[in-house]
Amino acid sequence: MEQNMVVLSAENLHKVYQLGGYQVHALSGVDFNVEKGEFVAIMGPSGSGKSTLLHLLGGLDSVTRGEVLLAGQPFSELPDQEITLARRRNIGFVFQFFNLLPTLSAEENVLLPILIDGKNPQEYQSRVDTLMEMIGLGDRRAHKPDQLSGGEQQRVAIARALITNPTILLADEPTGNLDTKTGKIIMSLLRQSCDDLGQTIVVVTHDPRAAAYADRVVFLRDGKQEQSFILDTSSDLTDRMRRIMGIMESMEI
Amino acid sequence: MRLMLKLSTRAIQRRPLRTILSMLGIMIGVAGILALGITNEASIRAIEDIFKQSSGSTDLMIIPASGNTTLAENVLTKADRLASVEKVLPVVIAQTSLASRADGGTLDLSFFGMESGGLMLHGINPVLDLQVRDYKITQGRFLSSEEPGFEVVLVDDYAEEEELEVGQYTEILTPNGPEKLQVVGLIAKEGPGNTNNGIFGVISIDTAQQIFNRRGEIDQLDILLTENNKDQVEVTRLELQSRLGDEVSVTYPAGQGQRMQQMLSNYQIGLNFLSGIALFVGAFLIYNAFAMTVVERTREFGMLRTVGMTRKQIISQVIMEALTQGVIGSVLGAAAGILGARGLTGLMEPLLGADLSTNMTVPVNVLVLSMGVGIFVTLVSALIPSIQAGRVSPVAALRVRGKSQEGWMTRSGWKFGLGMLVISTVILIWNPFSFDPQFILGSLTVFLMFGGVTLIIPATIHIWEKITRPLTGLVYGKSGLIGSRNTGRAKVRTTLTLVALLIGVAMVLIVRIMTGAFANDLVEWIGAYLGGDIYVHSNVSLRADIADQLNGVSGVSAATPIHYQEVLIRTPNGDDETITFMAVDPPTYSRVTNFVFANSDLEENKFLTELNSGGSIFISSVMAEKYNLGRGDELLIKTRGGFKPFNISAVVVDFYNQGLVITGNRQDLRRYLRSNQVSTILIKAENDTEISELMTNIDRIYGKRYLLSLESNEVVREDIFTLLDQAFMMFDVMGVLAVIIASLGIINTLTMNIMERTQEIGMLRAIGMTRGQVIKMVLSEAGLMGVIGGLIGLVFGVLLSRIFLAGMTAMSGYKLDFLVPAGGVLMGLIIALGISQLAAFQPARKAAKTNVLEAIRYE
Repeated sequence: MEQNMVVLSAENLHKVYQLGGYQVHALSGVDFNVEKGEFVAIMGPSGSGKSTLLHLLGGLDSVTRGEVLLAGQPFSELPDQEITLARRRNIGFVFQFFNLLPTLSAEENVLLPILIDGKNPQEYQSRVDTLMEMIGLGDRRAHKPDQLSGGEQQRVAIARALITNPTILLADEPTGNLDTKTGKIIMSLLRQSCDDLGQTIVVVTHDPRAAAYADRVVFLRDGKQEQSFILDTSSDLTDRMRRIMGIMESMEI
Repeated sequence: MRLMLKLSTRAIQRRPLRTILSMLGIMIGVAGILALGITNEASIRAIEDIFKQSSGSTDLMIIPASGNTTLAENVLTKADRLASVEKVLPVVIAQTSLASRADGGTLDLSFFGMESGGLMLHGINPVLDLQVRDYKITQGRFLSSEEPGFEVVLVDDYAEEEELEVGQYTEILTPNGPEKLQVVGLIAKEGPGNTNNGIFGVISIDTAQQIFNRRGEIDQLDILLTENNKDQVEVTRLELQSRLGDEVSVTYPAGQGQRMQQMLSNYQIGLNFLSGIALFVGAFLIYNAFAMTVVERTREFGMLRTVGMTRKQIISQVIMEALTQGVIGSVLGAAAGILGARGLTGLMEPLLGADLSTNMTVPVNVLVLSMGVGIFVTLVSALIPSIQAGRVSPVAALRVRGKSQEGWMTRSGWKFGLGMLVISTVILIWNPFSFDPQFILGSLTVFLMFGGVTLIIPATIHIWEKITRPLTGLVYGKSGLIGSRNTGRAKVRTTLTLVALLIGVAMVLIVRIMTGAFANDLVEWIGAYLGGDIYVHSNVSLRADIADQLNGVSGVSAATPIHYQEVLIRTPNGDDETITFMAVDPPTYSRVTNFVFANSDLEENKFLTELNSGGSIFISSVMAEKYNLGRGDELLIKTRGGFKPFNISAVVVDFYNQGLVITGNRQDLRRYLRSNQVSTILIKAENDTEISELMTNIDRIYGKRYLLSLESNEVVREDIFTLLDQAFMMFDVMGVLAVIIASLGIINTLTMNIMERTQEIGMLRAIGMTRGQVIKMVLSEAGLMGVIGGLIGLVFGVLLSRIFLAGMTAMSGYKLDFLVPAGGVLMGLIIALGISQLAAFQPARKAAKTNVLEAIRYE
């Protein structure tokens, strides 16, 4: 694929929830796209619709109006079975609460999408080895989740999301359940996968420290895109973080 | 306290289905105990009443001793002379029928054997009898005390059926032909009116002796003691026995009932065992329901903890809910138990051949006990979930759904379990159950095995999973491999579910093995016992020469007479016991049917020759086992001349009178027991003879003359097997119920597991697991439960059957073949696997429908 190709795009996305007698407009016409190899952070206050946007991009929820295209192909219109298969093979997910299977080892958790797809795990052994080394758990691949720390579990979750070499990796508050130091490690890992493996990543976060690792930041407010700006990746992390915080202040977030 | 009550009531109201499920458990336990308890008591009382009814308020009874058929009249005079005796009431018993009933009567089948129906008449002293027995006159009057003449008093229901009214004359059949009697009164079908199930009447003893050619003969003397000696009954009994000699037997009126009770005791052991099963099943359902409640309300309990409720208060909260449901459930269970008792007694009535409805009472102590047990079991079953609720930490509860916690019993209990299994295995190899008639050691072994398996299961689940992994992958695919590993996560819950399943499977197999073991022997025995083609009986005594006459009928290949008589034997222990002497004519018997020798032997002809020559007997395999007797030994039988030794020629399979039977020849019956009577005649038809035609022919020639009743043996055999099927049906029903309960347990367990893993399932769906794969994942989890429960259940079933059969040999002398039916094993496995999959279907579908977003949502 070429460097500037759009791998995931959304046009005029609307999402309305019915809560009792009320309608909640979570998204009101959001356009979004991300290019190959890009690292985008979506930020916004509570209720801005950032998680909703991520869920729609990942096919975890249905759109009310608008369209999501994955690698140029209509994605949001597909039936549930096909969306599921598309998620399995083309999208990697990282959650706030790790969500590893306690009965599987670290290596087996990484291989989970492969196992579900009925493929031979032997064929992915070298990729597993690469990822396990990348996340720094090469010598603990046989450990179960209850033998790993929170940060280590999240690293395993990242490796799991990368095992199929997905078109895109979506992370929903990946550092939300971790301390600052561990959060840094996780974000560095995501950055590394983007730089070294060319992985396209979209992260939803409320933490400017986490967003500072991205190439571009998109701000949402009240279900609409408010701002989008590119970060200078040559500047250091602290500067980037300050810039984000400055913009947040100006937006009164 | 008020708050807790309020919270309890609200919790119960909010989850009506859950509440119903846990109360169902309590109801099953309480209803089971109460229904079985009521039925048991009613059955025992009915049997006692069968004999008490005609005894009235008599204290003792004098009957002919073994070897004699009647009492001489001087026995009455001798008994009357005793100072402690107030009154002596003579009774002559005659089995007859109304002349208008040309067929001579029908065959009544019950648990206690076959009996010809027909009218039973008691010849009594009208004056004395009225003072002792409570005849309720409903129409007309009682027998005249001055000149009774040819009068009869009948039971009103029977009179109505036969369209007889007071004042009418009716003809009854006697050895001298029909005799007219006038119906002077009717009595109610209660008390003595219940004798022979109401097909009963009384005439004066003089009239009875006259018309039935029984002058100078009495069948029974009922003794009423003086007031001062009412508490010295045993002393008086011994005194009377010593005075009257060995020709008579002085016994208690309900004494005969004890024999019937013995026959029922094996059946009752089974019923009591079922009570225990009902209780376990109830406890299991309650535990499951409360465990589910705790999982569902983990966040609620967490919140209560954050606002300051202590662990103790949380535990008390759950216990309070359990208590509320326990009380309501026990009351409902008691009502269900009373209704259930009606149904159960309905099942028992044909087996006992008696009306149990009049004996059905609800003893207060049984009612209180069953309800008390229900409440107690509820509290005990809810204890573990309540402690788990108390252990929920506020923070963890608010973040995620509840997780089950493993205690030391789950981690280390396997050591105790292993010990218990080792001990029970040693006992099984040693096999001492034959010497354990009280089944104490047997019960202990069952308990040890059961406890051992329960404690070991948690530690072995992962081993089972590993062994079955290749098969799981083959059947359910990769998602199935994920599912089967989940079986080991909630160990306590899974273990209890597995235990319920293995009990269900074990019960199904035990019933198959036990009924198969009985059926094997019974089929063979009944085939011989009802050998030939036609079974001939009558309401009046048959003569021996009738068999000879029947032999001459065209189409009859052979006819053989058989007589059953009670005799007294002296066992090798020195005790005297009353058993049945079956007198046959060996040459004709062998032409009609055959003996089933215990060990198939080429010397059968030799045995038959010995039997025919006299002084020899065959004993049943039950007696051989019970008294350790065999060919070549001797058995002492009471005859007119005292105890005489008879040589034992062979051991035969014979379950008549629960196996307490010996076979001798008719010549010995005449010579030593002074009897030439015939109870029944078996007929073998010639080849190519149409049985129904032959029966019609015999009936035409001899039916009316000798008042014969003829039955096709094929029909009688079918009726017997139907009776046996009914008896076993209850156990089959319990087996099926146990399996159904186990399936409810699987549904509950899986539902709870899925609830706890909602987030996990959401994640799996998010990363690409399809709904179909989620279903397979849940099905494979249940499938592994089915495999474990099924295989252990089968082993359990085989071992328990062996213990029960050995125990039965000890208790009653039955020695039955232990065979494991391949069909039963296959059925058990299919049930286990089938039930596990069926039960998992709904939880699997629910899991597949998990809303991904809701599942992965976090606080």
